[in-house]
Amino acid sequence: MTKTTTDVAASPATGLGLTVEALTAGYPGRTAVAGVDLELPAGEVTAIVGPNGCGKSTLLRAIARLHKPDSGTVRAGDADVWQLTRRRAAHRIALLPQSPQAPEAVTVAGLVRYGRHPHQGLFRQWSREDERAVRSALEATGTAELAGRRLDQLSGGQRQRCWLAMVLAQETPVVLLDEPTSALDLGHGVEVLELVREVAAGGRTVLMVLHDLAAAARYADTLVAMNDGRVVAQGPAREVVSSELVKELYGIEADILRAPGDDSPVVVPRRG
Amino acid sequence: MTDKTTDAVKTTDVTPPDSTVVRAGTLSYLFPRRSALIAVALSLVIALVTALAAFASSTSMPFSDTVAGLLGTGDSATVMLVRDFRLPRIAVGLLVGAALGIAGCLTQTLAGNRLATPDIIGVNDGATAAVVASVVGSSTGMIGDWWLGPLGAIGAAVLVVLCAGGAGHRGYRVLVVGIGVSTLIGAITDLVMSRENDNTAGGVFLWTVGSLNGRDWGVGTPLALILLILVPLALVAGNRLQMLRFDDDMGSALGVNVRLVRACSLALAVALAGVAVGIAGPIAFVALAAPVIAARLTGPARVPVLGSALTGAALIAAADALGRVIAPVEIPVGVVTSVLGGPFLLWVLFGSNKTGAES
Repeated sequence: MTKTTTDVAASPATGLGLTVEALTAGYPGRTAVAGVDLELPAGEVTAIVGPNGCGKSTLLRAIARLHKPDSGTVRAGDADVWQLTRRRAAHRIALLPQSPQAPEAVTVAGLVRYGRHPHQGLFRQWSREDERAVRSALEATGTAELAGRRLDQLSGGQRQRCWLAMVLAQETPVVLLDEPTSALDLGHGVEVLELVREVAAGGRTVLMVLHDLAAAARYADTLVAMNDGRVVAQGPAREVVSSELVKELYGIEADILRAPGDDSPVVVPRRG
Repeated sequence: MTDKTTDAVKTTDVTPPDSTVVRAGTLSYLFPRRSALIAVALSLVIALVTALAAFASSTSMPFSDTVAGLLGTGDSATVMLVRDFRLPRIAVGLLVGAALGIAGCLTQTLAGNRLATPDIIGVNDGATAAVVASVVGSSTGMIGDWWLGPLGAIGAAVLVVLCAGGAGHRGYRVLVVGIGVSTLIGAITDLVMSRENDNTAGGVFLWTVGSLNGRDWGVGTPLALILLILVPLALVAGNRLQMLRFDDDMGSALGVNVRLVRACSLALAVALAGVAVGIAGPIAFVALAAPVIAARLTGPARVPVLGSALTGAALIAAADALGRVIAPVEIPVGVVTSVLGGPFLLWVLFGSNKTGAES
């Protein structure tokens, strides 16, 4: 799998960080995100964690241009994402929604080709660049053998790698993932998270929402803990995760152990 | 492991299937081989159906003379008979079929449901009610102008979309509200019919089942001009509609203005169905069947706008010709398509869902 890292790194879509300033967003009668600031460097994985309804999904949607913020800015590199055209924004930010719906009967290669849509036009329907990007995305995610298979006939883990391939084919410097492991078992979840680390190692900025605090602590360079629409803690997992934080976020008592090897925090809830 | 992956990539063809890439500098074009082949085949079918339909008219004339008349190579009487008396009705049928086929293709793709045709979302009933209602103010008891059809269709569509609170969310709400609204509007048509005397009601009834009887270039020319504008727009819309096969979030993230594409496609479908119904009445099942058949022929990789148009044209011309030869008294085309459409609908509902993979 080491070779794949160099392929991802070779892609031109790297080097732009993501900046969120004083972002406020909500729904009629309810503020979901209240003044969030974030600074995500390129080449790192950042995970947003927090309880249900803490505003992490709305924050991700506001960054992905799916939910118009009430105030504040989102910048990919130097460009205000909400000032760009939809297509231009799709050149900078890619999103993998939580349970995406695929076109009927689509093949893996067909799905990954759709990732090139923002780069295509009436007279640029299938460039050499498109071909290269699709190949390299298939290779980076280990899905090349599946290229001719139908997506709906694959296992959950394979399918998620195909969706990641599609997002990679979009060749954006910023990649957003909404709960990329929520439907997967432990093995396939870990496989996807390892892949996410490789994507970041290739120079892209990765921001994901994760339910699983343990997985977030293990695989993210930076943890952003949200509660009630605000960021309550931010930093490397081993500095941020504490019994107090777990209590603040989820209202439970827990002990924090250290994982052998890299000292990453392991949350062990206490039984009542 | 790594080597195996690399080999697979080298041997994997990532080019879209059934297509040929044409590149010049930074420009590139995908020629859709399979769709093009199907389009040529369907055009040949249409040519054949046209010849047979011209031949099937009541006056006896050898088939070879009919073809010569169509091509303009026969004697002047034959050419006049075929081209001036038989061809206009066939041409209107072809155009109406193309309009219904595209309208059905757009609504089915919008809703992600093969049963979502313009009939179901109230468009046909709106067009019918508008045209039928115009009979009330008419002293001769004649059916009113065809252009009331699209107006009625637009009225019904606006009503449906307003009641459903927008065209969003894969159109499910639009479908449900559409069924209700079309029932309501259908009642208007019935009310008008019940208030007229038997003669007028008979003529109105003939129109409400869908008929091409007496349709000529008077309606054919404006129809052709309208399609000349709407069909290219529909082809562009079909290309964009492809991205609506994803959920809205994924579509937006891929740079598509999902709401705009949906609104434009719906407007095009309403206009096309409205014009068709205004001219030939609400001919049943063509909008349902044409896109389903076209999708089987061209494969699932594309939204088959052109294929639906050609299939719809062939279906209506064939059904109209059939209605004229199988009984001593002409059977309206709408009745023929209803009779044939029933079994087809059952086939769609219960038949195999296999659409085959893209490649």
